[in-house]
Amino acid sequence: MSGFFILAILALAFLVVFQIAKASEYVSVLKGEEKTFLQNNKINAFLFIVFLVAGLVGVWYCNELYYGKTLFVQPSASDHGEKIDKMMWITLAVTGVVFFMTQIMLFWFAYKYQYSEKRKAYYYPHNNKWEVLWTVVPAIFLTVLVGFGLYYWFGITKEAPQGSQVVEITGKQFNWLVRYPGKDAVLGRKNYRLTNASDGNALGVDWEDASSHDDIEASEVHLVVNKPVKFVINAQDVIHDVGLPHFRLKMDAVPGIPTTIWFTPKYTTAEMKKITGNKDFVYEISCDQMCGSGHYSMKGIIVVETQEEYNAWLADKKPQYVTVMEGKKTPVAVADSATAKPIAALSK
Amino acid sequence: MQAVSEQQRKKIHPHKFTLWVAIGSILMMFAGLTSAYIVKRAQANWALLEIPKAFWISTVVILASSLTTYLAQKAFKERQMLKYRQMLGITALLGLAFLILQIVGFTALTKQDIKLVGAGSNASFSFLLAIASLHGAHLLGGVIAFFVMYVRSRNAKIRSYNPVPIEVASTYWHFVDLLWIYLILFFSVMK
Amino acid sequence: MSEATIQGQSVIGKVAHDHGHAGHHEHDHHEESFISKYVFSQDHKMIAKQFLITGMIWAIIGGLFSVLFRLQLGYPDATFPFLEDIFGKWAQGGKISPDFYYALVTMHGTILVFFVLTAGLSGTFANLLIPLQIGARDMASPMLNMLSYWFFFGASIVMFASLFVQTGPAAGGWTIYPPLSALGQASEGSKIGMDLWLVSMALFIVSSLLGGLNYISTILNMRTKGLSMTRLPLTVWALFFTAVLGVLSFPVLLSGAILLLFDRNLGTSFYLSDIVVKGEILPNEGGSAILFQHLFWFLGHPEVYIILLPAMGMVSEVMSVNARKPIFGYLAMIVSLFAITILAFLVWAHHMFVTGLNPFLGAFFVLLTLLIAIPSAVKVFNWLTTIWRGNLRFTPAMLYAIGFVSLFISGGLTGIFLGNSTLDLHLHDTYFVVAHFHIVMGVASFFGMFAGLNHWFPKMYGRYLNNTMAYIHFWITFVGAYLIFWPMHYQGFAGMPRRYYDYSNWESFKQFIELNRFISTVAMVVFAAQLLLVFNFFYSIFKGRKLKTENPWGAATLEWTTPINPGHGNWPGEIPEVHRWAYDYGKDGREFIPQNEPVGPNESHH
Repeated sequence: MSGFFILAILALAFLVVFQIAKASEYVSVLKGEEKTFLQNNKINAFLFIVFLVAGLVGVWYCNELYYGKTLFVQPSASDHGEKIDKMMWITLAVTGVVFFMTQIMLFWFAYKYQYSEKRKAYYYPHNNKWEVLWTVVPAIFLTVLVGFGLYYWFGITKEAPQGSQVVEITGKQFNWLVRYPGKDAVLGRKNYRLTNASDGNALGVDWEDASSHDDIEASEVHLVVNKPVKFVINAQDVIHDVGLPHFRLKMDAVPGIPTTIWFTPKYTTAEMKKITGNKDFVYEISCDQMCGSGHYSMKGIIVVETQEEYNAWLADKKPQYVTVMEGKKTPVAVADSATAKPIAALSK
Repeated sequence: MQAVSEQQRKKIHPHKFTLWVAIGSILMMFAGLTSAYIVKRAQANWALLEIPKAFWISTVVILASSLTTYLAQKAFKERQMLKYRQMLGITALLGLAFLILQIVGFTALTKQDIKLVGAGSNASFSFLLAIASLHGAHLLGGVIAFFVMYVRSRNAKIRSYNPVPIEVASTYWHFVDLLWIYLILFFSVMK
Repeated sequence: MSEATIQGQSVIGKVAHDHGHAGHHEHDHHEESFISKYVFSQDHKMIAKQFLITGMIWAIIGGLFSVLFRLQLGYPDATFPFLEDIFGKWAQGGKISPDFYYALVTMHGTILVFFVLTAGLSGTFANLLIPLQIGARDMASPMLNMLSYWFFFGASIVMFASLFVQTGPAAGGWTIYPPLSALGQASEGSKIGMDLWLVSMALFIVSSLLGGLNYISTILNMRTKGLSMTRLPLTVWALFFTAVLGVLSFPVLLSGAILLLFDRNLGTSFYLSDIVVKGEILPNEGGSAILFQHLFWFLGHPEVYIILLPAMGMVSEVMSVNARKPIFGYLAMIVSLFAITILAFLVWAHHMFVTGLNPFLGAFFVLLTLLIAIPSAVKVFNWLTTIWRGNLRFTPAMLYAIGFVSLFISGGLTGIFLGNSTLDLHLHDTYFVVAHFHIVMGVASFFGMFAGLNHWFPKMYGRYLNNTMAYIHFWITFVGAYLIFWPMHYQGFAGMPRRYYDYSNWESFKQFIELNRFISTVAMVVFAAQLLLVFNFFYSIFKGRKLKTENPWGAATLEWTTPINPGHGNWPGEIPEVHRWAYDYGKDGREFIPQNEPVGPNESHH
């Protein structure tokens, strides 16, 4: 019902506009095109100034409404993120100045130099001095931005510090699989051909590799605050991306090509709840590369906690290898969801 | 429509110029493909290419066809129309022979149990197939052009004195030939 | 290749009387059927109209898709029964399904980037303006030109067909990254719909190449006497560089697409490796999904400049004519177009900063990307100086031109954020990117197109578009576009990812429910306003106020020296000879001096 109503209103509005438009053309002929042109010109010139003022107010108002909903109002949850936030502010300052300067000039000129019979356009085809000026000045500012940007970039993309906690995150349609290297701090080798979720090997770990025997598979990521962590990122089927908004980072997950990103978390989940005033606060992993119809539902959870809490969490986790081996001894009914099928012979 | 104003500084006929730009464009496609080949080759899991003997024979064939193209152009300019027609026809046939030899070559590979596509295939041979096929498609276009020109030239009612069509066709044909030389050398060196 | 022979033959065969050349082309007495005049036309002006109208139809379809998916984003909890009536299984229960949503988003991007803003913008204005502004009777090869349109038409048929297949059209984003786009198991849209997409794009690429070849050849070889390159209007320069960009970059997309077709249908492993999809282990090994991204973006980046440059050229033209003063810094404008063209080929991997590429490679692309900001800045300052101390006439075209500059400033500045890899780590794939490209490429280029449409409609149809409708369309679209896309920057700063069907379950992103609703509402109003333009266009073809003068805008360029409805061959008599550059507005006290007027003895030098 309301759909029809809306359509009817639209149709009516359209008809009204059309009639006004047609009528205005007759009027302009009657009044004389010169006069109509002058009047329209004045109106549009005025509208440009209105737009400028309304626009600036709008920019301010939008900021009032939404600045509080961005991540700027919280501190960056990672060390790297601090650099990123700083880079953001520097860029905002530079581009902001340019934005206001040029937009104001544009609309002010449009208004000020509106057609007037008394005015003569000034024949001014070129001036190389100006060209040099507005080539060199932007170049200088951009060099500054590039300088800061690359300095931070190399700081973020360099090797993870020795002793970083390694966590492997594997993306698949449509969830994240997490694996810890266990006490030997080495992740066991994987071979995708061994993937068999119904047999407890959703990750395709090669159980023949001894270092896989203490690897722990978990449903969420737990990190120790102030301890650097290196994510080793894989994907099983299509390209995903480990998006870490609070940490200001992300990294693609590509099938066949492992990627890494490292950072140091600065605030525990509990601390963030206090800082943001949001008792439901949680560090979420968002998938940031189109991966299919469930792309919007690939949520991962990161818990940042103290060393003690982490140890406690890890303590009662059994390595996946152990679970699988135990399972082999006693036949277990396959419980869950899996869209998993046993290793399929290719029949294409 | 001879849409060229007489007073143009005539450096090059517009159609010839258009062809050169088109050649640039086609080269970009093969540049993209051969770059992809190089990148892929630098990664793991690359099977060394084997170039079938038939490809070398087809190289000789295509070189010969460039010669016949040149002869066709020369005959046209000298108004030796019978020779012109013959050369057009031979070029088209040599072009077809080239394509058949390509097919022979790929068949020989598959007989050796080398998979070009599908399960068990390696990117190196897949690239060979993809790139050679695309070259073949462009060559086929040239064959069709020569065939059309051959048929037209048999129409006794119309006399054409304009050398531009045969010149444009020849340039294109030489390009396809040179492109093949580049490709086969590329594949032999970058096995 | 044997076209000249055909023409030669038809001349000899058909005509008994004298067919003089250059000077006295009387083409109108050739018998032209409806088919040869309107359908398989080889006249550049008719081909331009074909591109325009096809582009407009696609714009309505692509725009409608955005209204649909904004319906989901704005009202994620609502159901709309009429949706199920129209779309059946794609909108069961009156709610757009995720598969449908992603198909809509993908096709919206594909249609608007390629079919509307490339074919509909370049195809229309390059075809219309190049011969007219350089003093040529038609393009270098009218036959190739006709083929260019019909390949576009063919591409359109295939793409349109893909919308109706059972499993749906491509749904992996307009960027169609493999493995998602290579594996039918990974997504319904990656079944037959994806093959159709690739075939359509192959045809489309051929169309663009044929067009580009013609434009380059015509501009370089067929300028009238006296028209040196440095006397060309900026529109022609822009279209020239656009064609160069296309001719060199589209083939690389074709190569990427061909390899994808191989992976999809022949089981090769160019892009695929180590894949377990929905539990099925695939045999492919050794491929690299990132390889596709390199091949794709090698076109993808120049593509956005292919879309932008013609708009820039037309805006320069429109601003100068309506400010009654020369475009400021003509040479600098050419050099900056050239710089943008070169740099466009060197920045593609800024779309790939977070793919795990080598940081040094990333750094290289940061440098080049921020470098490209410099010629863009130069252009903005030149436009500002053009209107400074002018005497501005606010024709609808001028309004769009000014709007273009505003949008280009806004959208261009946010590019500086994204080109910096440090910031891209945070902003990649968020709504910040969506805001950036919509403002700087989508809306800005559309405004360039609207400016061109309003300015040259009289040349196309001998009538004016209705001013009032145009003014209303401008103000609604301009204000609306900012209302839609400006707040999205804030969503980006919150890390809100793009291409998400629903945010309600995300603690981090659910704070924008009201904003999304607002944006969706405005989007629907703005879409409706576009129908005003479409109506204005078609109505005015038949009922628009007729032109009384050949040169309604008092412009100096050559297209305004043709008769009001130019026929074949454009000029009934001799083609004018050019004696000056295209921007003598307000010189020596005169409103304008046409390009074909010889230099007077007392004229000042510029």
